[in-house]
Amino acid sequence: MSARDERRPSDPLDLESLPGQRRIPEDEDEAEGTETAHEGPAADREGRGKADSEKLDQYLLRVYHGWKDSEDPRVHDDPVKRKRAMDARQQLITMYLPLVRSLARRYASRGEHFDDLVQVGAIGLIKAIDRFDLERGVELTTYATPNIVGEIKRYFRDKGWSVRVPRGLQELNIRLNKVIDELVPKLQRSPTINELAEAANATPEEVLEALETSQAYNSVSLQASPNGESGEEDAGLIDYLGGEEEAYDTMEDRTTLAPGFAKLDKRERYILHLRFFEGLTQSQIAERVGISQMHVSRLIRRSLEKLREEIGDLDNPMPPRSSDDER
Amino acid sequence: MTERISLEVPATLSALSTVRIVVGGLGARLDFSLDDLDDLFLATDRLLGAALDAEELDSIRVDVLVDDGTLRVSAGAFTSQSLRQQISVTPGGCIDLCILLQRLVDDVTVEEQDACFCVVMTKHRKGPVA
Repeated sequence: MSARDERRPSDPLDLESLPGQRRIPEDEDEAEGTETAHEGPAADREGRGKADSEKLDQYLLRVYHGWKDSEDPRVHDDPVKRKRAMDARQQLITMYLPLVRSLARRYASRGEHFDDLVQVGAIGLIKAIDRFDLERGVELTTYATPNIVGEIKRYFRDKGWSVRVPRGLQELNIRLNKVIDELVPKLQRSPTINELAEAANATPEEVLEALETSQAYNSVSLQASPNGESGEEDAGLIDYLGGEEEAYDTMEDRTTLAPGFAKLDKRERYILHLRFFEGLTQSQIAERVGISQMHVSRLIRRSLEKLREEIGDLDNPMPPRSSDDER
Repeated sequence: MTERISLEVPATLSALSTVRIVVGGLGARLDFSLDDLDDLFLATDRLLGAALDAEELDSIRVDVLVDDGTLRVSAGAFTSQSLRQQISVTPGGCIDLCILLQRLVDDVTVEEQDACFCVVMTKHRKGPVA
């Protein structure tokens, strides 16, 4: 037994002598694939495998819950134990953030900022860590995944709507997003309302009403920096655009001079360019950019609204109101 | 046979929702694609929005004509020469109302009605009937 192994049982709060860090895969396939990787070659050299990495999770959970669940007030009040417990919790959060990012990426095409989704997902992760029951004998990943996904879904359900929309219509709207994404490649064209209704198990009237509710969706993103100056927006854009960067650069040369465009973020400029200068349909843009058709629709509206606000007189090439404007 | 559905809605942005629902229902009947319908929604919104900015109106009359794979949305009656210019003339290089309507619908015409005019936007169904 190594010195570390000897120390661990006797000093569960010693965070300085932890076994090899577990790398949580960001890629979904990798995550589902499953083999656990280790942080560095040193770990492999020492022959610590998956079991050892899982021990780290369990160890940190024991440290944290040993303090949190303790009924002994002396344990709770001990500042050293408290700090070690909170350090363990923080380390668990850091370790599992890649999992949160991986899950958040699944929902990145629904109109919310990726970083916002990561933050929301992180709340789910923290809840999972706090509620984890060591006696259950499951891995934290298994327990945390539905918590993270659930938190993100709740966010979309309750907070993504700027106007209160009936739950049924919200759910149908979300379902339509998925149905559209499935139907477009299958039909090789944009679906009709009747096709959407059939696929979503709804009436055409309900589909129209649900689509209308999307007008009430997503006011949060309107607050984002129009230039993406934070850098976060640009990072998200790269996630969305991937291999389109070259085409995007070409577009930049041709459209940055257009009035008002400077106030749009890169993705908005790109989408407007594709729609109004290249003549692509919303479905074609959705495919190219890697987001849903409904999201493209919302982004186009949002971008045009920004343009209108920025250069209000752009729509009005005439001089300010004159006498010929009979009212 | 051409069908005509006539609406008179208050001159407010919130009333545009009613127009969209009616246009959407008729477009659905003609098996318009979601892309085409959304283009028509956007064109209608922008035209009526510009009209509300340009004129002090109490209400807007919207006629939707349905004819064998074609939707015509006629809005009026307007008097603003500024609005007429916005629809007909583009300085180019930017997405103004004129460019926007040209890209979103198949045809845009201004029809004179005495001292007023109305704007007629035409959108044809693309591709075979689903």
